[in-house]
Parts: sequence; structure tokens; C-alpha cells
Amino acid sequence: MTAAAGPLLLVEGLTTEFATRGGLVRAVDDVSLRVEAGECLGVVGESGSGKSMTFLSVMGLVRPPGRVSARRLMFDGTDVLALDEAGKRALRGRDIAITMQDALTALNPAFTVATQITEVLIAHNRAASMGEARIKAEEMMRLVGIPAAASRLDDYPHQFSGGMRQRIMIATALACRPRLLIADEPTTALDVTIQAQVLDLIADLRRELGMSVVLITHDLGVVAEHADRVMVMYAGQVVEDGPTATIIDRPAHPYTRGLIDCMPNLETLDRPVHPIPGQVPSPLDLPPHCRFFDRCERAGPQCRVPVALLPLSPDHGVRCIRAEGAAHG
Amino acid sequence: MRIGRLIERIAGLVPVLLGVSVIVFLMITLTPGDPVEIMLGDSRSSPEQEAALRRDMGLDRPMVERFFLFLGNAVRGEFGLSFFHRRPVIDVIGERLPATIELTLVALVLSLVIAIPLGVLAAVKKNTWFDRIGTVGSLLGVSMPGFWFGILLILLFSVKLGWLPVAGRIGFSAEVPFVTGMLLIDTLLAGRLDSFVEAARHILLPALTLALPMAAILMRVTRSSMLEVLRADYVLFAEAKGLSRARVIGRHALKNALIPTVTVAALETGSLLGGNMIVETVFGWPGLGRLVVEAIFSRNYPIVQAAVLLYAVTYVLLNFIADLLYTALNPRIKL
Ligand SMILES: Nc1ncnc2c1ncn2[C@@H]1O[C@H](COP(=O)(O)OP(=O)(O)O)[C@@H](O)[C@H]1O
Ligand code: SF4
Ligand SMILES: [Mg+2]
Repeated sequence: MTAAAGPLLLVEGLTTEFATRGGLVRAVDDVSLRVEAGECLGVVGESGSGKSMTFLSVMGLVRPPGRVSARRLMFDGTDVLALDEAGKRALRGRDIAITMQDALTALNPAFTVATQITEVLIAHNRAASMGEARIKAEEMMRLVGIPAAASRLDDYPHQFSGGMRQRIMIATALACRPRLLIADEPTTALDVTIQAQVLDLIADLRRELGMSVVLITHDLGVVAEHADRVMVMYAGQVVEDGPTATIIDRPAHPYTRGLIDCMPNLETLDRPVHPIPGQVPSPLDLPPHCRFFDRCERAGPQCRVPVALLPLSPDHGVRCIRAEGAAHG
Repeated sequence: MRIGRLIERIAGLVPVLLGVSVIVFLMITLTPGDPVEIMLGDSRSSPEQEAALRRDMGLDRPMVERFFLFLGNAVRGEFGLSFFHRRPVIDVIGERLPATIELTLVALVLSLVIAIPLGVLAAVKKNTWFDRIGTVGSLLGVSMPGFWFGILLILLFSVKLGWLPVAGRIGFSAEVPFVTGMLLIDTLLAGRLDSFVEAARHILLPALTLALPMAAILMRVTRSSMLEVLRADYVLFAEAKGLSRARVIGRHALKNALIPTVTVAALETGSLLGGNMIVETVFGWPGLGRLVVEAIFSRNYPIVQAAVLLYAVTYVLLNFIADLLYTALNPRIKL
């Protein structure tokens, strides 16, 4: 596949809905995004804001009763919406890979890690024989830092520690050297020292393999360190996006500001951490106006209207009519 | 599993089997009715003759002594003489056993072959008409008495359509040398394809009658475990790797979903043994089940005693096998 001009991944107007007993749940609401070649996009937001669902939708992995629609979905110049199921399957695992939120449950307990890594290579014709696939699988395990990789190929997932399982999942995802890795909360399940190791591993591999990364996390600190650009999600919508430095130093949305305020870092260690008061609204009972209204410090009567995501500058968008630094603020 | 652990597990069976033999012994000993009177029947006999028989059968000894005698004999396969056949019990049972084993195995295979694909399909096509028909069908299968179903099958396929034989094991024409006693195997070993087909035609209806209630249970087990497994993250991750749907469902999901199915199948095979008594009687199948029914009606206690012990031991062993299978399929469990 030749690299076309334009972003590696381009998504416009992505919406994912679930018909539930309680009514229609719009888990992803008109999300647009792009990921440039070689870039790391950070995606932040509280649990339930639709981060995972956005990228599962991109990969075509949403199950019934979920329904996905989009105005545009382009990968490396290919119109994914026009592909048939086989075409989408060929992209999955080969060009776009995902590591799931929980490595403990994402690896199949009934198969050895060798089976689970080699089957991707064989499905995408990246190995001519089982022997070759095993050699490549062992290489991947070494690459992600599994000690004594050769002797551990035929072990089962439960025989590895949590951090090692995370690495095996990454090795599986990267086996075909994908162009885009979606890392869904790669560190939430791990303790602090291993968290840093796994993130550094992803950063190293990104450089080494020249791939793009979508780093999903609820930790802005992780994003500040690893991402080139950031997209902030709230209740299924993008509420702010822009370059990492801009978002961290001059957040325009009160929600982003709130997330930054509850980030424990060197400057704020002596200050008490301020979690944002209140709760994410139920997806079955969203207000018709700004979804952050109930929790917003700056909310005013003029906020009781639907709010659009508008550019504050060419590369900085925000969904707030009283955004910091906004002309109409 | 390590060998030492396996030996330990097998040793653990000894007290269970001992308990089983105590129960079987007590059951027969405490059952009302004097075996000597039954044996002598209505024939007029002197008290001396009666006492002699009692001594011969060891019935004049204390109960504890009799138990150990019984146990020692049982281990050596000695269960005395069948009242009716006037031959060693072990020979009479040995003659009938292969027919029952054959019927049970064919029924087991049939029920798995029916239940697993249907259960998987019902889960994959959840809430479609296929799933609903499957649910109703399996409910019927579970709740319908097996013999009634057998009679329906006979009426349809044997009496009305005349496709299959009504009863029995094989036509008299098919004489094949005895090797395993299982005709499907012996006919093949003898290279007699015609007799094999004949044997298969005979076994089909009784095996199906035994298999269907079990298939109904296994289908429900497979469906529900498959539904659970299909929601698992590892199935989503397998899909995310770009594997074919056949591989995702047929390997990633199925291998995990089959763990309960296989375990329940091993346990349910025990209930096939019970089902045998009825099905063998309905279909005139010359197996152990029918022998036991006949023995009960004619108060042929030595046969009943040996058969009950055999059933109990088989049941314990099937439980053990179910355990082993569960472990073998589930690498997370270390024995
Ligand atoms: N099967 C489903 N049925 C109904 N709603 C769902 C389903 N799956 C996900 N959702 C909705 O999608 C929302 C977003 O979930 P998710 O993308 O996992 O959030 P995040 O990854 O940001 O924590 C959830 O709050 C939930 O309401
Ligand atoms: S629009 Fe109003 S309520 Fe919504 S985030 Fe901005 S200031 Fe707060
Ligand atoms: Mg998530």
C-alpha cells in the first residue's frame, strides 16, 4: 500500500448508538478526528466518555445491538466505508492494531502465547510456515522485553505476570508491524513502575517501527509526556482538541481545565488535588444543552443551548461558548 | 498434570468405591425376602437342605464377615451364580455388557454431534427464529420421557415407513467372530460391510432415543457457555487481529465454551446407563439394562447386586473422567 497524501486515519461524523431497553444510547456522538503518519494522538476523558467505543467503531468491532455510522472513514487513502467485510478484516491486525484495556482478559486462556501471536502472522500471510511464524513470534516477544522468550513461547497466559501479559498483548498487536496502534489504557491495570516501562516500550516501538499511535488514557500526565496532539472527550463528544502543549498550558474548556487540576504532578503535589465535582450525565438522560453544564464552574444562563465544536485557532478546537481565550467568551 | 498428582487423585477414589460397595452390600442384605427361600422356590425342601444351602452361600456368618467376603469376591469379579441362568454372574454380565457399552458410546457420540453445532449456532444466531426453535426443541427433549420418544421413533421409522428394524441387535444372518462384542467394530474387523450396515441400522433408533434427551441438555449448556464466551474480551481481541470468523468462533470461542459441555457430557453418560434399562427394554436390545430389568422382576439378586455395583463404579469413574477432562481443557487449573 502506498502512502497517500493526507492523514493516515481520517474520521468524520462518527456516531455509535445502542438501542437499549431504557432508550437509545449514543455512546459516540458525531466524532471527527485525524491521526497523521508517525504521530501520537492522546485521547483523554473520564471512564464512560466513549473513548474505547470510538476506536472500536473505527475498527469495525462494535457488536449488535450497536450501530455505527460515519460521513467519512479513510485509512491511508482507502475509503474504509466502501470495503466489504473481508477488506476490513484484512486491515485489522495488519494495518490497524489495538491493545485492549485489560490484558488479563484479552488473551485467550485456552491457547499458548505462541498460538496467539503466530495466528496473526499466518492470517495476514506474514509467515509462510508455522516454523517461520514461531521465529517471528519469538522475535516479537524479545522486542517487547519478555525474558527467555524462546523457552516461554509454549506457556499459557496465566503463567505470566500482569505486566508480562500486557507486553504479550502488545507483541501480538505489533506482530504484523501495523501502521497504526490503538493503545487502549495500556497502563491502568499495572502498578506504577511497570506503567512507565510499558509506556516507554510503546514509545520506543513507535520510533523503531515508524507507526502512529492512539494513546487512550484518563491520565493527562501520560498524555503530556507521550502525545503530539490531544483529544478530550466528554459524554460521547469531543470537547477539545489541539497540540499537547496548547492543551496542557492553555486549556480552553472548563472540563480540560478540571482534568489538569486533578493531575498530580511536581507543581501541584503540595496542593490538594481537585477532582471535578459531580458525575458524568447518564447517556440515557443527556441535557439538550452543553453536556458539562451541571458540573461546570463557569456555567451561565447563556450555556443553555446546544454547543458546537468550534476552532479557537486553526489547530485548536473547543466545545464551549465561554471558552478561555475565545473571542465570544 | 503431574503423575504424582494423578496417582493421588486415583487413590482418592478408593474410599468412594469402598463406600459404594458398603451401600450395595447393605441394600441387598437388608432387602426383605430370604434369598434361600427364593432360590428353593416352591419346591418342598427339608430344613436340612435349607441349612446346607444357607451354609453354602455363607449366609450363616456374621454380617461383617460376609461383607469382606463379598468385597474380596467382588474384586476378583466373583458374584456367585445367577439363580436363573445357573451360570456365573460375571459370565452372564460379560455377555451383555458389550452391547450396552456400544449403545452408550454411539448415543454419546450422537448427542455430541447433534448438540455442539446446534448449541453454537443457537448462540451465534441468538434471538433469531433458529434460536427460538432450538430452545423449544431442547425444552421438549429435556422434559419428554425417553421411552415415549423411542416408541414414537419406532412407530414412524419402523412401523409406518419400514426403513429401520423394530427391535433387536442384528439379523441372524450376520455371523461375525466375537472380538470386542461390539458389533459395529467386530463387523468391520471381519471385513463384513453388509453386516456393519445391518448393525448400524439396528443401533440407530435406540441410540437416538438415548441420545436426544442428553443432546437437549448439552445443547443448552453449549449455547449458554458460548453466549458467555462470545462476550469475552479475548474473542473481541481475536477479531481485532483480523482472524476469520470461522477461526474466532470455531477456535477461540469454542475451545473455552466446550469446557462445561464436555464436563456435563461425561457426567450425563452416567444417566445414559439408567436410560439404558428403559430403552433396551423398549427396543429389545440384549444389553445389561434389559438383563437388570429381567433380574429385578425375577428376583435374581446376584445379578442385581453385581449390576448395581458395576453402575455405581462406572458412575464414580465417569465423575473422575469429567474432572480430568475439565482439567485437560482448562490450562488455568493446575492439578
Ligand atoms: N452494549 C452496550 N449497550 C449500551 N451502551 C453501551 C454498550 N457498550 C457501551 N455502551 C455505552 O458506551 C459508553 C462509552 O463507553 P466506553 O467507550 O467504553 O467509554 P470509555 O472507554 O471512555 O471509558 C458507555 O458509557 C456506555 O453507556
Ligand atoms: S458551554 Fe457553558 S456550561 Fe458548557 S462548558 Fe462552556 S461554560 Fe461550561
Ligand atoms: Mg475504555
